[in-house]
Amino acid sequence: MAELWDVLSEHFSEFSSGFWVTIRLVAISFAIAMVVGTLVAALRVAPVKPLNWIGGVFVETFRNTPLLVLLFISFAGLRRAGIPIDAWVAATASLGLYTAAYVAEALRSGVFAVGKGQIEASLSLGLDYPRTLRYVVLPQAFRTVIPHLGSLTIAMIKNSAIVGVSLLALGDLLHQARLVNSRTFATDEVFFWAAVGYLILTGLATVAVRLLEARYAIRR
Amino acid sequence: MKWTRALQLLATLALVLGVLLAAGCGDDDDDDGGGGNGGEPAGEARQFPADTPLGKIQRNGEITIGVKYDVPPFGFLNPQTDEVEGFDVDLGRFIAEELGVKPKFIEAISDNRIPFLERGTVDLILSTMTINAERDTEIDFSEPYYIAEGRILVPKGSDIKGLQDLNGKSVCTALGSTYEETIRERAPDADLRLVDTYSECLELLQNEAIDAISTDDVILTGMIIQDDSLQMVGDRLTVEPYGVGIKEGDKQMKRFVDQVLTQMEEDGRWEETYQKWVGRHLDRQEQPPEMTLQEALQIGA
Repeated sequence: MAELWDVLSEHFSEFSSGFWVTIRLVAISFAIAMVVGTLVAALRVAPVKPLNWIGGVFVETFRNTPLLVLLFISFAGLRRAGIPIDAWVAATASLGLYTAAYVAEALRSGVFAVGKGQIEASLSLGLDYPRTLRYVVLPQAFRTVIPHLGSLTIAMIKNSAIVGVSLLALGDLLHQARLVNSRTFATDEVFFWAAVGYLILTGLATVAVRLLEARYAIRR
Repeated sequence: MKWTRALQLLATLALVLGVLLAAGCGDDDDDDGGGGNGGEPAGEARQFPADTPLGKIQRNGEITIGVKYDVPPFGFLNPQTDEVEGFDVDLGRFIAEELGVKPKFIEAISDNRIPFLERGTVDLILSTMTINAERDTEIDFSEPYYIAEGRILVPKGSDIKGLQDLNGKSVCTALGSTYEETIRERAPDADLRLVDTYSECLELLQNEAIDAISTDDVILTGMIIQDDSLQMVGDRLTVEPYGVGIKEGDKQMKRFVDQVLTQMEEDGRWEETYQKWVGRHLDRQEQPPEMTLQEALQIGA
């Protein structure tokens, strides 16, 4: 038991720096995922066929590729092609766009949950399609899919650990934990604390989703 | 006319098939020959009591050895045969042969090899592992079987000429390797990039995401074999005596491995294996190491 606390106190700077890198990674990727996810969902439900296709290609590309492969292509691949992409950009773009594909699908299902009559009513009142989406459909769609978006956010927090084992060598929580492990060989203790770090983040996300749900979700 | 054609076609097919089969058999023969008869347990191997670690391995008929899969010329996967080869692998085969069992090789990267030993996933580790005092508290080491030197690898034309130029540059090495500490101490302002495998370091250097790689000269030699736009610079940073990793406290295994090592150093197998994997590329001759385990442990201290 004593050893458990020793590992944390002796290597606190490594763990905390890893924790902050993970938070930054997750925060930026979350913003990208929500913004891009919403735009792609809008493309997917737009009444124009080519726009549907573009949205569909995006979703299938990013959802059907393993995250580790995306990270490799976006970093090593682009650099080999002569584009000097930064490890942070590659990491947040990969994690953000990967999650965006899921967010887009979640929102699309939320859009379908909004009654067709409402859309027709809105259009007949003279609102154009983008405004119908903005004022009538999306606010309701978001409310319906809050629990689903919460699960996606938690999955994204856990997926961020893949960045730490990839060749990007960003010092996130898992990367730092493995670094401490390579110096102390205290495997059980080190990964216990790494798990605690991720649990704090996913726990916070869970609480945030509960609060949002309590406030906005549609009661049935 | 038609029939002659058909016959000719058949004959050609038979010929092609025959050649393919012969080639296939030839490959197998090569494998067995190169592997020091790894497949056939030697009849004259010494038997150990069944309740000892070595006796258990003999009863299973198989010894599991952790090796590198991406570090030519010590342990690397041959894409043609899909089998792992190299200096470490040959050493593993010799040990298995002396024990009269089959060797089973699994991949052990720098970061997981010590837990592998502790948890019994492997019986031995032969993965370019440097003997040092820190690791010696977790596992046991054989006598040194190879002495490597630490060097720096850069693209030709780089302005890095040695250790003194590394500050402010990004340097890649494997997470859990001895170089993590060496670079941190001797070039404290270098931006250390730690990845799982040296092949990832090579990828990063080739796509200009980092400025240099630092690790053992033999590993860097393997990289230069793959990409001759790279070169080693500077004086040697460290002396890296490689040892076989043995589970902590397994005295019987340590005695046995040390005996096999001494034997192969005496009967010329060491030099033969060295020439086959390393000497050929470095264009130099080498004698088996004379350094003892005690001396090796004192290097870092």
